[in-house]
Amino acid sequence: MKRYFLLYLNFLRFSFSKAMEFRLDLTFRILMDIIYYLVNILFFKVIYLHTPLLGGWTEEQMLVFVATYLLIDAINMTVFSTNMWWLPFYINKGDLDYYLIRPVSPLFFLSLREFSASSFVNLLIALGFFAYTLATYSAPFGGLDLLLFVVLIVNGSLIYYCIQMLMILPTFWTHSAKGFIDLFYSLGMAMERPDRIYRGWLRILFTVLLPFALIASFPARIFLEHLDWGTFLHLLGVTAVFWVLVSYVWKKGLANYSSASS
Amino acid sequence: MKLWRFIMAMEFRKILAYRSDFWITFLGQTFIQLLIARALWQDVFEARGESTLNGFTLGTMTLYYLIVPVGSKILTGENVGFISREIYDGTFTRYLIYPLSFLEYKTLTYLTHSLFYGLHLVFIFTVYHLVFDPGALGPAAFSNLFLGVGVYLLAALAYVMMATAIELLALWVENIWSLMVMLRFFVFFFGGSFIPLDFFPAWALGLLQYTPFPYMVNLPAKTIMGLLSPEKILLGAVVLIGWTVAFRVTVSLLWKRGQLGYTGAGV
Repeated sequence: MKRYFLLYLNFLRFSFSKAMEFRLDLTFRILMDIIYYLVNILFFKVIYLHTPLLGGWTEEQMLVFVATYLLIDAINMTVFSTNMWWLPFYINKGDLDYYLIRPVSPLFFLSLREFSASSFVNLLIALGFFAYTLATYSAPFGGLDLLLFVVLIVNGSLIYYCIQMLMILPTFWTHSAKGFIDLFYSLGMAMERPDRIYRGWLRILFTVLLPFALIASFPARIFLEHLDWGTFLHLLGVTAVFWVLVSYVWKKGLANYSSASS
Repeated sequence: MKLWRFIMAMEFRKILAYRSDFWITFLGQTFIQLLIARALWQDVFEARGESTLNGFTLGTMTLYYLIVPVGSKILTGENVGFISREIYDGTFTRYLIYPLSFLEYKTLTYLTHSLFYGLHLVFIFTVYHLVFDPGALGPAAFSNLFLGVGVYLLAALAYVMMATAIELLALWVENIWSLMVMLRFFVFFFGGSFIPLDFFPAWALGLLQYTPFPYMVNLPAKTIMGLLSPEKILLGAVVLIGWTVAFRVTVSLLWKRGQLGYTGAGV
């Protein structure tokens, strides 16, 4: 465990020094994410010009929800996103060999090696926006709520990571991840809408089969309404199930992998 | 002309090389975004307790979100980002030996993707019109469809020139990927891909008419839906041509200056 921790510290050091080499690019990327945040806030501002409620939430509540999904998005962009971008290329080009022969878990290495320094700055901005929405939110909340929220934010990020992996791993068989990755980004929009707008089979799709609606809506509910322990444990259970699924598909994929030297 | 046809045919073959990708993207991008947007607007209509909002019923809103995701693919194609990548890789030099200029080649390959997604839109719209909503769009449905696809292709030409102008900045700066993403945010949000522009405040619409964005998404989508008069479509098309010319001139200026400092493989 300590070895993995030290290795991750080295990943961080390497990523920050690499980002500082390209300062103009770093600035552009920070600006890009700020615009992304503004577009998301403006989207709901425009919607609320025409309705008092969306998914049963008022505009004030919706801002807490928006801040929650921006936070989860920022965590994923910082920790996983660059790695997820490169993984299909490694699989197709046979570059996975370099990761398979190292004395650490290849899944750990491939998922966490590239830490995005520019997104880290945006993670701080997302955190600031979240703190602002909570500070201006009229309903009271306690320390336990914050603690549970942190757990569910990490949990939501892991669900997002697992679904993304499940969309990338078919590359082992299809040799092109483009279709599935495009599909993932289209589906990702489901996370950015309150879960109660989904009804019938669409609700089953986004809460059970591809649980995008669980990622941000449920953590936000801690502040917006009551979240019972059963739901809390259910969310952790979903992550465990998806993690088992990712591990299984990863192993099957590796069995199907043709390396550059084979 | 023969050369153009050859390049476009080659690009079509490339698009169809990965068929599973094509079908997943086709189904995913067409229906997932539609279902999510429809669920959101259904909730808004119910919260307001009204059947019409800013001229849209839930039915016309559904049609709008059926057109817009595919329309966005016509607009942004697949090849944007390739010019800057080739500049960084140093492989841009290969255009020196091509029998046509890099801009002509890139525009052709880009428009092939746009044309392909245009056919995609014709197919989806036809199925919707004949199966799910027969007759509701009136007898002019197909003439509006082809006119709208034409406006989309015009918008795609304006977009490729605007995107190329940004991509050529790669001749000076170290990475322009994030600028391209920002461009997409602006086009999609201020063009009306996320929310129809009719729901924006009047002051915002007043400002947006001086940008190319509403003409790239709102104009073609509403043309297909039969919601615009011929005069407005014509005016929008003229504005799009104006923006295309302006960006084309910018591209020429940037290329003229930028190529002097370009260092590629084998140069």
